[in-house]
Amino acid sequence: MAGKAGATPTTYTPSPKTQRKKPPIFKNDDVDWVRPDGRGFHQCRPAFFRTGAVNAAAGSAYAEFGNTKVIVSVFGPRESKKAMMYSDIGRLNCNVSYTTFATPIRGQGSDNKEFSSMLHKALEGAIMLETFPKTTVDVFALVLESGGSDLPVVISCASVALADAGIMMYDLVASVSVSCLGKNIVIDPVLEEESYQDGSLMITCMPSRYEVTQLTITGEWSTPKINEGMQLCLDACSKLANIMRSCLKEAASASDE
Amino acid sequence: MEFVSPEGLRLDGRRPTEMRQIRAELGAVAKADGSAVFEMGNTKVVAAVYGPREVQNRSQQLSDQALVRCEYSMANFSTGDRMRKPKGDRRSTEISLVIRQTMEACIMTHLMPRSQIDIFVQVLQADGGTRSACINAATLALADAGIPMHDLVTSCSAGYLNSTPLLDLNYVEDSARGPDVTVGILPKLDKVTLLQRISCRLCMTDTTGEYKGIRISTRWINYNEG
Amino acid sequence: MVGLSLGEKHFIQGGIAQDLRSDGRKRLTYRPIYVETGVIPQANGSARVRMGGTNVIATVKAELGRPSQLQPDKGKVSIHIDCSSTAEPVFEGRGHEELSTELSVSLQRSLLGGKSGSGAGIDLSSLVVVEGKICWDLYIDGLVVCSDGNLLDALGAAIKAALSNTGIPRVQVASSASGDEDQPEVDISDEEFLQFDTSGVPVIVTLTKVGKHYIADATAEEESQMSSAVSISVNRKGHICGLTKRGGAGLDPSIILDMISVAKHVSEKLMNKLDSEIAAAEASEDES
Repeated sequence: MAGKAGATPTTYTPSPKTQRKKPPIFKNDDVDWVRPDGRGFHQCRPAFFRTGAVNAAAGSAYAEFGNTKVIVSVFGPRESKKAMMYSDIGRLNCNVSYTTFATPIRGQGSDNKEFSSMLHKALEGAIMLETFPKTTVDVFALVLESGGSDLPVVISCASVALADAGIMMYDLVASVSVSCLGKNIVIDPVLEEESYQDGSLMITCMPSRYEVTQLTITGEWSTPKINEGMQLCLDACSKLANIMRSCLKEAASASDE
Repeated sequence: MEFVSPEGLRLDGRRPTEMRQIRAELGAVAKADGSAVFEMGNTKVVAAVYGPREVQNRSQQLSDQALVRCEYSMANFSTGDRMRKPKGDRRSTEISLVIRQTMEACIMTHLMPRSQIDIFVQVLQADGGTRSACINAATLALADAGIPMHDLVTSCSAGYLNSTPLLDLNYVEDSARGPDVTVGILPKLDKVTLLQRISCRLCMTDTTGEYKGIRISTRWINYNEG
Repeated sequence: MVGLSLGEKHFIQGGIAQDLRSDGRKRLTYRPIYVETGVIPQANGSARVRMGGTNVIATVKAELGRPSQLQPDKGKVSIHIDCSSTAEPVFEGRGHEELSTELSVSLQRSLLGGKSGSGAGIDLSSLVVVEGKICWDLYIDGLVVCSDGNLLDALGAAIKAALSNTGIPRVQVASSASGDEDQPEVDISDEEFLQFDTSGVPVIVTLTKVGKHYIADATAEEESQMSSAVSISVNRKGHICGLTKRGGAGLDPSIILDMISVAKHVSEKLMNKLDSEIAAAEASEDES
């Protein structure tokens, strides 16, 4: 080991990280299994939001959920770049990208091609597009570090950034996912859990309106399980929305002073 | 490799100047203005025509004639080995251009100024002679769309292997890299609109085979009309 | 894109509200489905599915490959969808990419199950030849030839039909190959083919919400009037294998649950219809 005293190493060797550790093997009826970060099954990671992360943008936000770190900047409403046809509603353009160092294996983030269109679909229902006809709002999300549940974090963070940019929305959009591991449902999975999950369910919703704007399910689910998963997500979404709202309020009151 | 047996039969049992079985069907794509499926043996092509319609990109608009556009693409399952990138390589750009030029020559473009005609050709299965099959399919699709043309273009390829002119090469014969030629003609006007020679190592071209190809395809089109 | 006048829009919406759609169907009725198998002889399995104006082709190609390090006892399946520009002029060039990716991802989600591979419609462990060394890689390619709405359901049906049409060559592993070698030698049989078990492959039911009601198997005109759509894939056991929501407008969670139960009901009929169509197509292919 490099850290051993007396050896006086000339080169620095990083000690192997805990990522190498084998995942916990758990059986279907094992309820005492502990999650990698010590949370309860129905306990979310602490969420942190901060607006105004990018000065050049009309609005921006930074979000940190455990190891997942995301930055979203919003530009516009501005003139549509391409010579596009007239439209009496505004356009929304979304792009999600990964830094090359976001994933354990370099450049793996580009596997998630569909995230851009999924972000678009999640937000489109919440934004009042008719308030900015003929113009485009660009939402650029960058995942700085991928620590699991990337897309839900990106979506929640994007809605904070949109609010920061003063884009009219019906409601804040909060997003939470759950993973199905054997018989257990765990909320807000980390990367390790995601790679061993049997199924996942992601909900994007507008909590005050109690409307789901986006829902995806993978893997095999029975109806009672879907009910349970959806309820868990919706509860977590409304709590998450409160955190998002308080972050926006803080920023607003700080700028008033 | 022997492409013609001493008895004068080819690998798939055809005579040197025999074509593969041809099958054509109109209206395969319900939503297009005109469409056709064309099969030559195992080669299978779908063509769809949209237009004449308003020009999408105003800067390309022509004030005295119609704008003809063409896109050729191969499905990833069309070849024996699975293709990874089905669109936009050099070969398909070149074939798109060939089809466009051939079709432009037979469409009465002057009747439809300031409009645009799109021809989309999709190869479902490639077994040699895709170029000819695409042109035949595109002609039928244009006719199905009711676009005025001087004549129907018919096309066929021929090659020269084992000192024998061979008509309508299949994939195995095509990949033998002998000289081959693709001809497109307007049978009623008796004019050649397309003549492409590939890897012409021998100066002697197989005019007989070529001519035979034209004759047979003419006969086929006449039959189809009747 | 579909250009509709105000009158036409009202007609479609009004018809749906009265449970009588413009082509005479009820809200939850599918268009007749036509299945044709073995359309691409070069592939291991192929099928063409037609539903009204929608026309799609799916093919399955099997190649020998190495299983991944993480899952040595499982084969690999990849699904790739391509939208031909013959279907819609806007698909020209790169115009099809967005839709192609969306369809590919939705189908992967519905057919391949979770990351651990459980709940997959395709039994991946049946693709292994030698554990950790050789497995079959299935490449599923879909092509949209003509689109008139409800592409996802049609592609799902075509893939199911293509998989039932797939014959995977029987492989003999040469016994002389000892464990030390990297890659044992194999002998691929030309005559013997293994039929693929497709009983677990789910069907996809897309419910499109127009106005206050939702309809199954929407045409392109009806899709242009949708507020949102939910695609649900259901297997034989009646379990949900995947769900994707499309379209922007929000939905009340109770409506989604309602849609799921309706989709289960519709899927039963669709599954039976599809199975009999596939069987008929296989029978007619054997005859010819």
